[in-house]
Amino acid sequence: MKCDSCQEKATVFYTQVADGKLKKFVLCEACAQAQGIMNPEGLLMAEELLGAAAPAAAIADLAPFPSSGKCTSCDFTLEDLQKVGRLGCPDCYRAFAGEIAQRLPSMHKGLVHMGYVPDGLVKQQALRNERSDLDAKLKAAVISENFEEAAKVKDLIDALEKSTKKGAVTS
Amino acid sequence: MMRFSTLLKHPADWMTGHDEENSVVLTSRVRLARNLANAPFPGWARKKERQAVRESLQSELERLPGMKTGFSHELSDLDSLQKQVLVERHLISREQAARNEGSGSVVNRKQTLSLMINEEDHLRIQAIRPSLQLKEAYKLAHSIDRNLENKVEFAVDPELGYLTACPTNLGTGMRASAMLHLPGLVLSDQIGQVLKGIGKLGLAVRGLYGEGTESLGNLYQISNQSTLGESELEILDRLTRVIGDVARYETQARRKLLADDPVMVKDRIGRAAGTLTYARIISSKEALNHLSMLRLGADLEIMPASLVEICDRLFMETQPAHLQWSAGQKLAPAARDIMRAQMIREHLQTSLPPAIDISGDKN
Repeated sequence: MKCDSCQEKATVFYTQVADGKLKKFVLCEACAQAQGIMNPEGLLMAEELLGAAAPAAAIADLAPFPSSGKCTSCDFTLEDLQKVGRLGCPDCYRAFAGEIAQRLPSMHKGLVHMGYVPDGLVKQQALRNERSDLDAKLKAAVISENFEEAAKVKDLIDALEKSTKKGAVTS
Repeated sequence: MMRFSTLLKHPADWMTGHDEENSVVLTSRVRLARNLANAPFPGWARKKERQAVRESLQSELERLPGMKTGFSHELSDLDSLQKQVLVERHLISREQAARNEGSGSVVNRKQTLSLMINEEDHLRIQAIRPSLQLKEAYKLAHSIDRNLENKVEFAVDPELGYLTACPTNLGTGMRASAMLHLPGLVLSDQIGQVLKGIGKLGLAVRGLYGEGTESLGNLYQISNQSTLGESELEILDRLTRVIGDVARYETQARRKLLADDPVMVKDRIGRAAGTLTYARIISSKEALNHLSMLRLGADLEIMPASLVEICDRLFMETQPAHLQWSAGQKLAPAARDIMRAQMIREHLQTSLPPAIDISGDKN
């Protein structure tokens, strides 16, 4: 994956919620730092540079479960990954997305899968992942008493549930 | 289900049958790494979780077409010698042989398909074909993959592809490799250059038994390293092209050696034949190196053509575990070396001019 801003290899994955909409950016480390993505105060600058609207609320994260450095599905830790170079379970790829993204360029020709995919399965799992990302964000928002944010995430969850029930797969 | 002894009685489909096509490329292998969506990877799973994965997968695999008459075992049911035999046949990996409970192996009767349960990943689907047939091997493995994906949920991500225990297998989860016999490039001192070139193309070169093993008998495995960012077909095309090139270099090197220095080439081959025909004690390494020369002699029509198949069988059957299995007991290295020499003599007697009896006995 390439940096949104300079076409270098992206290693920082940044998600924000603005006006009830999820927005994702991928940046290389240099651009992320230059734009202050690592530090929430710098977000407005990043917005200007990327030409997007100012966020009402933003969560800067390297991964959906950034807090403990631990995969919530299997308890595998970042330290384990650094020790053995392997992962604990399929969900670890999301838990340690930032760390893994840094390693992939030296291992592979590209960063995005171009091979065979079993269609139904991918859609189903993408939806499930999106749902669990949103659940984690809702939890984080509630804990930090950011109720405005929580309400927005809840709306997204409801919308996702509705679309799944209708069978309309959009993502 | 086939018993272990029945499996071993028959050489694998890809070990027999020789034509011009496999004078350099002996076999092509493709393996696909797959994992269940909702279970920890084998290396991190608890014993109980590993067992549960093995049980559910093994019964699914046994029901696959062509597998009902195959071989299916939990690896802990096999002793260390049996496991080593499977490693020598490339039907399980060295890593899997070292794992304990909750690991399994399912192999079809022809030994063209080998399914490894709870190796590094929950499932590894491996297909082996003779000569340079990587795409055919992929088709075979892919058919099993397609069949299984309707029955079990594999872990897949839209951007990252198949999720594997080690990120080096991420994406297609596909490792394709071919086994090449390169005595011409070794004898003409060009092998180093060729291997370096292959490395620069982002491909890996290894010895007989994969990662970290030394090259014996002038046998080399070439495989893809990258599994993400390219389709299976792109990887297979590139690999087939490079391996085809290497095979052509090898053929040219053999022809040139024979044209430039026929006495040297025939001397090397003749000495190998002499040692193999008369030796009473021979190590695995020495046997592989001489068998390699003898096979070269057959490919160059200096020796009878029938020797190619015999050499390929002996490459396999003189390996330590195969030897002990056919002896029906564990043997110390010294006893193995004696038995190996005897087995080789017996096989060669029918294909080489009659040996002069130098011992006065029949042993």
